[in-house]
Amino acid sequence: MTTWTTTASRRLPAYLALGGAGLLAGLLLGRPEPVVLAAPLLLAAAAGLALARPPDVDVTVRLDRERALEGEEVELEVTVSARRPVAWLDVEVRLPPGLAERRRSGDGPASLRAGATRTYRRRLACQRWGGRLVGHVTMRARDPLGLFTYRDETRQLLPLRVYPRPEAVRRMLRPAETQAFAGNEVSRLKGDGIEFADIRPFEPGDRVRRINWRASARRGQLHVNEMRPERNSDVVIFLDTFTDLPAPGGTSLEMTVRAAAALVDGYLRRRDRVGLVGFGGTLRWLRPAMGERQLYRLVDALIDTQVVVSYAWKGLEVIPSRTLPPKSLVVAFTPLLDERSLGALLDLRARGYDLSVIELSPLAFVRPGRRETERLAYRLWAMEREALRGRFLSMGVPVVTWRHGEPLEPALAVASRFRRDARMVRT
Amino acid sequence: MIRARPLLAVGPAALALAAALALVPPLRAGGSPGPIAGLGGAAVALYAISLGAPLAGAMPWALGLLGLEYLVSLEVRAAPLDEAAPAYAAAFFLCAELGWLGLEARRGGRPWPGRAAAIGAVALGGAALGALLLAISAVSFAGGPVLTGLGVAAAVAVAASLAWLGRRPA
Repeated sequence: MTTWTTTASRRLPAYLALGGAGLLAGLLLGRPEPVVLAAPLLLAAAAGLALARPPDVDVTVRLDRERALEGEEVELEVTVSARRPVAWLDVEVRLPPGLAERRRSGDGPASLRAGATRTYRRRLACQRWGGRLVGHVTMRARDPLGLFTYRDETRQLLPLRVYPRPEAVRRMLRPAETQAFAGNEVSRLKGDGIEFADIRPFEPGDRVRRINWRASARRGQLHVNEMRPERNSDVVIFLDTFTDLPAPGGTSLEMTVRAAAALVDGYLRRRDRVGLVGFGGTLRWLRPAMGERQLYRLVDALIDTQVVVSYAWKGLEVIPSRTLPPKSLVVAFTPLLDERSLGALLDLRARGYDLSVIELSPLAFVRPGRRETERLAYRLWAMEREALRGRFLSMGVPVVTWRHGEPLEPALAVASRFRRDARMVRT
Repeated sequence: MIRARPLLAVGPAALALAAALALVPPLRAGGSPGPIAGLGGAAVALYAISLGAPLAGAMPWALGLLGLEYLVSLEVRAAPLDEAAPAYAAAFFLCAELGWLGLEARRGGRPWPGRAAAIGAVALGGAALGALLLAISAVSFAGGPVLTGLGVAAAVAVAASLAWLGRRPA
């Protein structure tokens, strides 16, 4: 049921006033010409008032799909069926932030006959990831002479989930430890597999097909090949959602979600188990799992990520233990600003988790200031951050700065190099 | 919001029609067109300001001045019945509508075919009604309080009809 708000044009009182003045002048002057002059104005007002009826329409809103990738376009159809004629009808769609309307040419206002149906199509550009409700439609109609405007709003809200367009990442961070299930990661342990690891002297019980005949012939003693099995690993994406740093090209949270989506996709393709911890004002988590269903779960959880302000202290104890399995690789996206997330990350490392930190540097979002004291404060802050990074590095945790506008892959490559070198130093 | 391309040609056309309407009474006045032309000039200037500013509130005053110019010219030249009045009335109505369309065009609005047809029909109907009124007024009646009372009653009836149309439920 639609309830129309009626607004009269300024023409109507003007025509009535001029027409009335014409009638009065005719009486006062005793001439017919003022009345003749007023006749079309009064006729227009009378016709406008006689034809003024709010439209009687049915509205249906439909989206061509419920899911889209960031940057894609979806089509919204607003179908209007008129029970009685409408001289002019236009449809406007009120969109939530992150969506933009692209109106096609020739899809503007139109008149509808009684019983006619018209579909207004709007292309909606998905500019930012997130879950949204679409279908807040404003209709504007006018009578044949345009003396009245009718306005009505209808809400037939349809869900639209816009998934982040992932960053292009080909090489992921390799976990230090693998799990028991088969996967794409070559384990550091020796066992049944196809990746060559080493040779060793033959021992009773070894399979004959494992004998390395060439090495045995050279050494005069039977040697067998040792292999590395291919296993999967547990990866937990840790999102620091305590702070969001705004920038013209996108906030730090947007960068984080895009990068996380890329890593989730990449690790799940490798048959790893992937989980998620959103550590912020509200704590959100997903236990590590594998498969396509987990991909949708994770991406759905990612696009609902938002910053919620909270002053409550939080530590690792609030995260369910099964969300962080032992030997899992934890990839943390953080601006390294909030003490609570810093504490949680240091605690993770202290508990032996394989941690890598991708730092979304806040330095790019802050200007040093003009005054000497401001510049001094900025320098002190930058030094504090450097010391913080050094603290993580001394614990064997790579901290890689990922700046706005840069691809993620080089940052991951730097982290991989650090992890490889640190491992060599440890061994 | 995405708007349709405004029809910017409406404004100049409306102004040209207003200027033409303002020129007609001084040209027909003959002897002393000065004050009439002054009224017409003021009407056109106000009309132009209303369109250019844009200032919708000034439009009725510009139209009122234009109508006043016509009536003053009739009185000044003590003209008998003006047979061109229905045509002038139709042009006056078109000038008013073009003025409002010009104002809407400034806000991005566009006229639609149905509205143009309705305006044309009202202009023609108004001219026909005016011609009928002129024809009736040409018939010589014996005037008096009864006829004047009938005229007043007719005017009141017109106002009442418009008020009823305005208040009736949809």
